[in-house]
Formats: sequence, C-alpha cells, structure tokens
Amino acid sequence: MNGYNFAYLDEQTKRMIRRALLKAVAIPGYQVPFGGREMPMPYGWGTGGVQVTASILGADDILKVIDQGADDTTNAVSIRHFFQRVAGVETTTSTATADVIQTRHRIPETPLRNGQILVFQVPIPEPLRFIEPSEQETRMMHALEEYGVMHVKLYEDIARYGHIATTYAYPVKVDGRYVMDPSPIPKFDNPKLDGNPALMLFGAGREKRLYAIPPYTRVESLDFEDHPFEVQTWEHTCALCGSDHSYLDEVITDDKGGRMFVCSDTDYCQTRRGEVA
Amino acid sequence: MERGMTVKPEMTTGLVWSALADPAHDSQRLFRQILAALSEPGTLHAIAVAEPPQARLGAALWGALLTLCDLETKIWIAADLDSPPLREALTFHTGARITNDPANADFALLTPESFDPDIPFALGSDSYPDRSTTLLVAVERLENIEGWRLSGPGIAESRMLDIGDGSRALMTRLAANRASFPCGLDAIFGCGGQLAAIPRSTRIDSTRIDGANAGEVN
Ligand SMILES: [Zn+2]
Repeated sequence: MNGYNFAYLDEQTKRMIRRALLKAVAIPGYQVPFGGREMPMPYGWGTGGVQVTASILGADDILKVIDQGADDTTNAVSIRHFFQRVAGVETTTSTATADVIQTRHRIPETPLRNGQILVFQVPIPEPLRFIEPSEQETRMMHALEEYGVMHVKLYEDIARYGHIATTYAYPVKVDGRYVMDPSPIPKFDNPKLDGNPALMLFGAGREKRLYAIPPYTRVESLDFEDHPFEVQTWEHTCALCGSDHSYLDEVITDDKGGRMFVCSDTDYCQTRRGEVA
Repeated sequence: MERGMTVKPEMTTGLVWSALADPAHDSQRLFRQILAALSEPGTLHAIAVAEPPQARLGAALWGALLTLCDLETKIWIAADLDSPPLREALTFHTGARITNDPANADFALLTPESFDPDIPFALGSDSYPDRSTTLLVAVERLENIEGWRLSGPGIAESRMLDIGDGSRALMTRLAANRASFPCGLDAIFGCGGQLAAIPRSTRIDSTRIDGANAGEVN
C-alpha cells in the first residue's frame, strides 16, 4: 500500500492507542492520556478521531465519515479518502450499513445498533478547561468530583439569559461519575448518548486524550431541578423530507434572502426522500 | 453467545509458541474482540489463535498477550502459570519485559487459585486511574450461566457469568472495584479459546451464595 502500514499507523503506535482505549472503556468518561503520533493532516481536521479509527479499523469494516451531519463536506471526504487509500476499506454514506462511523459535531439521526462504533473528533476534551487552565488542577477536580464550578457556570447562564445558553458541547455526567465533554455536538444529540447500544469513542489529537462511553451506559446532561435539560426545537419541518424530529440547519437558497430549514444529517434526509436504494 | 469450554491444566505436547500469522490484521481482529469484551462485560468471544504449548494458559490469553504487549509493557506472572518456555516465548514474540514487582506490571498472568488479595497490583491513582495492572486470568469455565450477575456500563439489564469454582476471592476483589472506583483492576478471562472480561465499572453480585436473595459481594 505505497509503503504505508495498514491504516497508516505503525503497529506499536496502534498497540499503545489500543491499550489506552481498553482503559477508556473500563473507566467510562475518564480522559486517558496517550502518546499520539503526528498525522498527515492539521489538528483541526480531526487527528484524534483519525488515530482512534486507524487503531480499530479492520479490512472488513465498512466506514462512514460525517462532518456536521454531512458525508460530502471537505473534511469528511478527505478523511474517507485517507482510509480508502491507507486501509483499502469499503466506505458508505448509510448509517445503517456502517460498522465504524467517524464524526465531527453530530450523532446520526438513524438509531445506532449494537456492534457499531462511533468515533468522535474532539477539539477540547476537558469540560473544565474554560474554568481552570491547569491540567493538573482539572485532573484533581475530576479525582475529587469537584464539579460545582460546572453548575455555577450553567447557572450564570440562567441568571443572565433566563435559560442555559450552552447549546453545543453541553456537559454530561457518565455513569454517575465523570463529567465529560461530548465534543461540539448540538445538545439536541445529548439524549442519544444515554443508553446507546453502540460503543462511542472520543479522540482529541492536540491534547492527546481518549475517552469512551460503552454501550448501554447511563449518560445525563447536567441541569437543575428548576431548569431541567431541554433540547432545541424548531417551528419548521425539513423543507426536503418533511421531518419534524431531526436537527435542522438553516440554509440560504438565493441572494435575495431566501432561506429554508433542512436536516443536517444528509443520509437520514436522503433516505427519507427515498433517494437511497 | 458461544458456549464455554473446560480446560484441564496439564501441559500439551507437540505444540509450539506461535506468533500471529498476519500480525497487522490478526492483532486488529483480536483487539476488536478484546475491546468488545471490555465494552460489554461478560460477553464471550471465540479467539482464533493457535493453542500454546501450555494448555492452562489457553489460546485466548496467548492471543491477548500477542495483541497487547510489546517493548513498552511489563508482565507479572503467577507461579502456577510461570515457566521458562512461556517467558522465553513472551520475550521473543512481543519484546515485553517480565517483572517480579506486581505494582509495576501493566499485565498480570494468573489463575483464580493463584490470585491473592494481598498481591499489591497497581490500582492507578485518583488523578491517573488508568495506571493500573490489567489481570489476565486463566479460568476453567466461561459460561453465561448462574454464578455471578453483572450489571453497569456495557450491559443493558444484567448478564450472568460463571468462571468456575474457586473464583470467590478473585470475584470479591473485582466487586470491591466499585468502592475504589475510578481506581481498580480490570480483568480479562481466558478459557481455552474463549475470552470474556470484567472491567472495574461492573457491578458484581453473587447468584449462588445466598440463594434467591443474592447479596452484593463485599
Ligand atoms: Zn430532511
């Protein structure tokens, strides 16, 4: 394969990442440090997710890659082509067909099944980082379950805006223990983290951290009794497939200010429109 | 679920310590099985690896060692599994170092009989709970039947697992992981070619000791 090892990474790097992944599933929501390698793409392109995918992917796997719900964005296409080239794997846009799905910023609308693995690209793995810049301190806060500051931050939102303004990367608590950043997915997707039959793996390339949510794991979005967690809703339905229950993006249709709302999950929308055989 | 099998602890002759036939692809396939075993505690996975000459170790654990170990890992071996040929094979095929210090071991090879709660394996620290010893335990039975009831992450409701007689001290230790969480010991079990696992996140109850009203093991 043009001098590359299978799936690009050398075997020793894969073993190191694999050992870290086993720790990650054993301690759900805990950030495992790993000795990441430089990848042939810039950090903003999901190198953490790419390293996880490269370490788990097999020749028989069918891979799907999405960015903001779409299979055809530059980021998704380039990662898909990368794995076609270095692992020779079959790829798909169909959520139901895929064995491994690498994603940036969304969880597919089609419910995942047991046996599938969802790999998240994570820019900033530490949910407490905006409160505490020191890694040593945030490690200590996780160790002592000192999560009060996180609630204070969310409550400041309520005081200022009358509701919790955080709409992306909304913090969750995994199996009643670790507070975790679910990566910048919309909070609309947070309920899909709870009790999901699929295995969810998270990779942060710049900070070299891995974490995981095993299948059927309890995942709660942080909230308050008087301000319970709520997901976004829309007054519109999808202009293309009519869905009244998916996450919608507003798109500009012309230069006269025309706009419409469409599913952000392109595979889901196309499947509903019967365009996928 | 594949049915479990029983292995007798005598040495098998005429076998060799073989490496993975296709290292990159075989280790990927085995890793995914080990990942599935730890992600869904108590599920059984058939490991297709040549049986090693030391029957009690079994193909599943030999495959796990070949998949997970290299120059960066240290292995502790209990007396009842230790042998010069095993040490030689591990060094030759993986480059892993054998250590006599359990607190310094990434992996520990043992049986329920050689498990002793006083062995000071690494449990990790509150800040770095991942710096712990993973137990690789050769057991005489792996079946999804009454014995121990598992629940928690990776398990929709509950799952039964029996790892054979004489496992009470080991399972009591693994049940105590809940109290020390996130520090603790993750265990990977091998029985012949079958593999299963119980990570530290799993809740463990006995289904046998107290009859119908099984109490938590502590
Ligand atoms: Zn739609």
